[in-house]
Amino acid sequence: MTPVEWGIVALALVGAFFGAVAALGIVRLPDVYTRAHAASKSDTLGAVLTVGAAALALQSDISTVKAVFLLTFMFLTNPTAAHAIARAAQDQGIEPWTLDDGEGET
Amino acid sequence: MPVDDSVTLRNTVAYVVAEAETAATDGPVELHFVDVATTRSVDPDAPEELSEATELLERVEVWVEEDLGEDPPTGISVETAVLGADRYLFSPGDYAEAILDYAADVGADRIVLDPEYSPGGATPMLRPLQLELTRDDIAVEEAPVERRTEATVLGRAASLPKYLTVFGASYLFYMLLSAWKPLDFLTGFFTATLVAVLLAPVAFSQQPSVFRVGKQLARMAVFVPYLLKEIAVANLQIAYVVLHPSLPIDPKIVELRAAVWGDAPVTTLANSITLTPGTLTVDVTDRAFDIHSLTAGSREDLFAGGLERAVRFVFYGREAAAIASPRERGDDGEGQDG
Repeated sequence: MTPVEWGIVALALVGAFFGAVAALGIVRLPDVYTRAHAASKSDTLGAVLTVGAAALALQSDISTVKAVFLLTFMFLTNPTAAHAIARAAQDQGIEPWTLDDGEGET
Repeated sequence: MPVDDSVTLRNTVAYVVAEAETAATDGPVELHFVDVATTRSVDPDAPEELSEATELLERVEVWVEEDLGEDPPTGISVETAVLGADRYLFSPGDYAEAILDYAADVGADRIVLDPEYSPGGATPMLRPLQLELTRDDIAVEEAPVERRTEATVLGRAASLPKYLTVFGASYLFYMLLSAWKPLDFLTGFFTATLVAVLLAPVAFSQQPSVFRVGKQLARMAVFVPYLLKEIAVANLQIAYVVLHPSLPIDPKIVELRAAVWGDAPVTTLANSITLTPGTLTVDVTDRAFDIHSLTAGSREDLFAGGLERAVRFVFYGREAAAIASPRERGDDGEGQDG
């Protein structure tokens, strides 16, 4: 394998790892705010790394440029969406989970 | 009647006064003029926009006296108020809510809108606002006053450099995404023209300047790797927290009074905070950020102020980056959660 191919594999694997962390985070974390953390960040990084791997693998100028645009817009829109969800949750009066709430469980 | 500086404001006030004079023959009339202040980009310690609002309202009062003439009919009283100084107004719905709350407070039965009313800057707001306002039972109407000419509206909307910037950016973008066939140059030209004509009026809040934008882009090039590093490091922390068997989290909402001003810097900072794992911007009022933080460690980083400093560096340059961090300013978010 060439170094580029190693790079592609590494990016895809790390991307998949963070995607898995995001999924696990959504299951394990206790409330909408903490879940938004997992869904907005680990997920963004996972998706961005995977698209980065695709950009490397495509090797053609124009598709790579398009993939880079995709990356940029993901970086811009994902946190905005997370903010919108969290703000909506706060508007609805949802109280954030704190350590005190968790004392009774597990 | 909500007021805002516009070309038809004077005529709308005249119309309202004329209507009031007609109605005053049947009983006492109260006229309320309100300015919905947009303070989100204004330092609350130096509320310039508030004093602008007050000045505008005083001007309106003078106009009303002028229109009522030497011998004012009895039964007409005038009230003015500044609304929304305490909220984050963003959508037409937010504005409508502020206006309707006030209307309900004073028992108004009719709202008159200035046809050129656009409190949100260049963004056209009248139609959606009218729609939002009619949700309540209060009668809403647009004052039937003559607009000067369409040319004034277009002339105010955008300047030539603005059109050229938007045209150039969209042409470039179109070509980057296309296959570089001769036909693409033609279709790209038409598309970019269409985009420029439609969107240039709302594209920039200030006149674009090559020098300033270039400088900001150069600083942005320094900022992005820093942000990427922060994201990578913090993502590993989140991965650790999520994968740890006992899930060691300590979530809490804290308030950060950030030392950044203006829409673009505030947006950039809010998005950067959200992207840096462990912190999530929940709401922004003026410069006060409500931030949900996942662990105590992420709160530490937030108030150490690295990101805030970096954003100031991008938009204002090196000197501004030297402003003290939130902790040094005595803000540690304690006692303000919720």
